[in-house]
Amino acid sequence: MTTLNDTSSRPDVIDATVPLAPTQATRALRLQRDKVMAATQGSYDAMFSPSVEGLPVTERLLVALHACSVSRAATLAAHYRERLLAEGAERELVAAVGSGAPVADARLRTVLAFTASLIERPIDGDKAAVDALAEAGLSTPAIVALGQLIAFLSYQIRLVAGLQALAAAEVSQ
Amino acid sequence: MTTPIRIKGFTNEVLGWKPWLDPVDVATATPAQLAALDEMSPQARTSPYFLVLAHQPEMLLQRSIAFNAIMFAPGGMPRAERELGATVESRVNGCVYCASVHAQRFEQLAKRSDVISQVFEEPASAGTTAREKAIVEFSIRLGAEPGKVSADDVRMLKEVGLTELEILDLIHSVALFAWANRLMLNLGEPVFPPAA
Repeated sequence: MTTLNDTSSRPDVIDATVPLAPTQATRALRLQRDKVMAATQGSYDAMFSPSVEGLPVTERLLVALHACSVSRAATLAAHYRERLLAEGAERELVAAVGSGAPVADARLRTVLAFTASLIERPIDGDKAAVDALAEAGLSTPAIVALGQLIAFLSYQIRLVAGLQALAAAEVSQ
Repeated sequence: MTTPIRIKGFTNEVLGWKPWLDPVDVATATPAQLAALDEMSPQARTSPYFLVLAHQPEMLLQRSIAFNAIMFAPGGMPRAERELGATVESRVNGCVYCASVHAQRFEQLAKRSDVISQVFEEPASAGTTAREKAIVEFSIRLGAEPGKVSADDVRMLKEVGLTELEILDLIHSVALFAWANRLMLNLGEPVFPPAA
């Protein structure tokens, strides 16, 4: 786990979405929990790893964009939008998913509906929703990957919101 | 053995959990799957929940490292209060299983369960001290409306004596349970003990 040792020098996705100057107190604060920083970035890397089969990276990035959009997490949504465009995703599709407009592909529609439900109303989760994913063609490992991804995004959205509040409190002291 | 708490469908009893997907079979698990399970806890190899998550070993491994780093990190917020944040988030999300596990951990650490009964009854007014009320209130807000959390919320926590590291630990704990609850609620369901 060499990554645990050099987190202070390696900018991560949280740094990109909550820009903190090296001299800022919230930056030093985050570094006090360097294991959490490393595992947060490690989780992000795992969630979007090309080696995960059955759920293409572009589809995962669309899920992330949709999750951040419905959560009104603007800076994170911008991050995933940029990644999608860098991956060569169609601009129209990215715009539709970001704004919650309907998409043509039936599988993607099922995946995005599952995403919005799990983000906004986790208590509504039931076996029928999982079965619908299987019927849409997702394998068991792909369903686990999708569940982990959406759940991780819920974490990331709250971590970013909390850090932004800490940084804002610091500035306005 | 004290009488278990049973309020509004929530409990501090030990519950089971039944997956809606086939778990990984430990006997045929890959080294990466076993390593991810062992990173989580010594019991993970026998847990249906972790065996389902083991279908994605790298995701489980990183999540396990994050989980243990957040809940067990030395210093900062007392561990009982991290468990309280976890229990509040689980109550607000309706995750009966997570709420029971972390209510038990709070009780083990704090040697009391008064605030747990309050959280199960009505989270919005729960808390036995000003500090506890502020922790519960912040946990609800970050859990339910992360986009509305602001500098004012941080200042309220500082006013009742939380340090910045304690506030960060609370943010981590609540965020972590936004993650955990969604897995528990959407990949399976809690199993209640047979009625006594």
